[in-house]
Amino acid sequence: MITAKEIYLSYDKNRFIIKKGSFHIRDKEFIFIGGNSGSGKSTLIKSLYGDIGLKHGELFVDGVNMKNISAANLRKIRRDIGIIFQDYKLINDLTIEENIMLPLKINGYSNEISKKQALNLLSHVKLSHRKGYRPNELSGGEQQRVAVARALAHNPKIIIADEPTGNLDDFSAEVVWNLLKGANEQLGITVVVVTHRVPKNFGIRFRQLSIDDGIIYEVS
Amino acid sequence: MKSLKSIFSFVIPLTAMLITFAIFLFTTKVVDDYKLKISNDYSIVVVANTPLVKDNINELSGIKVQKIVTLEKNKIINNIKDKLSDKSVELLKQRLPYFYKIHLEQYPTSSQLKNAKNELLEIKNIKKVEIFSKNHNQIFLIIQKIIAVVFAIILIYAVIIIAKQIKIWFYEHHEAITIMQFHGASILYSASSVIKHAVFGALISFGIVAALIVLLNNNLELVFPPELQSVVGIKLLVKEELVKIFLLSLFISISTIFGVLFKHKMKNA
Repeated sequence: MITAKEIYLSYDKNRFIIKKGSFHIRDKEFIFIGGNSGSGKSTLIKSLYGDIGLKHGELFVDGVNMKNISAANLRKIRRDIGIIFQDYKLINDLTIEENIMLPLKINGYSNEISKKQALNLLSHVKLSHRKGYRPNELSGGEQQRVAVARALAHNPKIIIADEPTGNLDDFSAEVVWNLLKGANEQLGITVVVVTHRVPKNFGIRFRQLSIDDGIIYEVS
Repeated sequence: MKSLKSIFSFVIPLTAMLITFAIFLFTTKVVDDYKLKISNDYSIVVVANTPLVKDNINELSGIKVQKIVTLEKNKIINNIKDKLSDKSVELLKQRLPYFYKIHLEQYPTSSQLKNAKNELLEIKNIKKVEIFSKNHNQIFLIIQKIIAVVFAIILIYAVIIIAKQIKIWFYEHHEAITIMQFHGASILYSASSVIKHAVFGALISFGIVAALIVLLNNNLELVFPPELQSVVGIKLLVKEELVKIFLLSLFISISTIFGVLFKHKMKNA
């Protein structure tokens, strides 16, 4: 599903955040990427959805080479990815229901189907009663649950999550982990999660990568 | 509510700009009408030793000659013949040169007028040319200044509006555009909220200005007294003006949309 061959990532010419990184993530795997703050975890997953370009090496996501990818191909690959950001990245001008409908509408689903799926997911994240609310009217935990629902809405091939529970209370964190586990186990979605701490007694099979000073290691 | 506020923050300056543009169109029309009127009244006087072959003078300084009128010698002599003897009148008839008034189809500029004078003086039998450039210059300079000032105001205003709105909408929509693009949205889809605001804004502004123009056209006598109308002959070409105003409104909206998207692209580059 994702293959990196000696990739180098950087924001400027002088300093590489990721150096000679190689790894392979198989279809339907659950992957944790760990490492200290500033180790390059977020930079690495940004490269998976094309928010940062490769300096050297090759990166294949769902068979598509991300190096010098065209705008049209990038749009295509992004439609198969669900992204969960640490800072939620919900659109405040839209209701939370409309936020969840967004990837469905981008993928060409009708308004009716998008709405039905959004309501279904809102019930999964226990926010049905707030469907008309704007994101800025919700707590951080609630916003992240909406973000997870949005990432799952269009049944993507891959879910990429950057510290999805970093700022959450225990209840919201548990809802988020359960949804991600369900997406992987029941829907067969490949899940890549960046996190400081892997939850204890996770309950499903997973593999762990770690980044230290820009070098990627396989932990387990 | 926020969306309405965002649209109106664009509508108010855009409407003011379109009104200025309508005034510019109106001023230009009035000036053109006035130029036509004074060009009908305006003529170049030519004094020639022998009769002019009128067919040889079709164009002067690139402006078509409308007509050449011969000023009758007898009329001139009749005015003064009471004070002269018959012999002197006969002598005067023989000695008096030929006078002509040349009417042009357009009101010439100062330089066109100078060229016309030179072209006329190159004709062998023409002795003197009077172009009345002093009066001409004064009127023409005022007209040109009015148009230049109105046009400059419109240009500056348009640039300020576009720049201001690009800044506001970029700030308001940059994050939403980015989020939509992360989900694979096309540039048009991700900018749909900006496009919606810009198009609604353009239509609302156009509607307001169109209503004002129609109202003005139906009540011209309230704004311009009949005496002034008889001098200048003010007539609005409503359909033409509305098309031009609509196009300008659309142009500003589209420029603003492109500006926001360009700024977004630059920021993400």
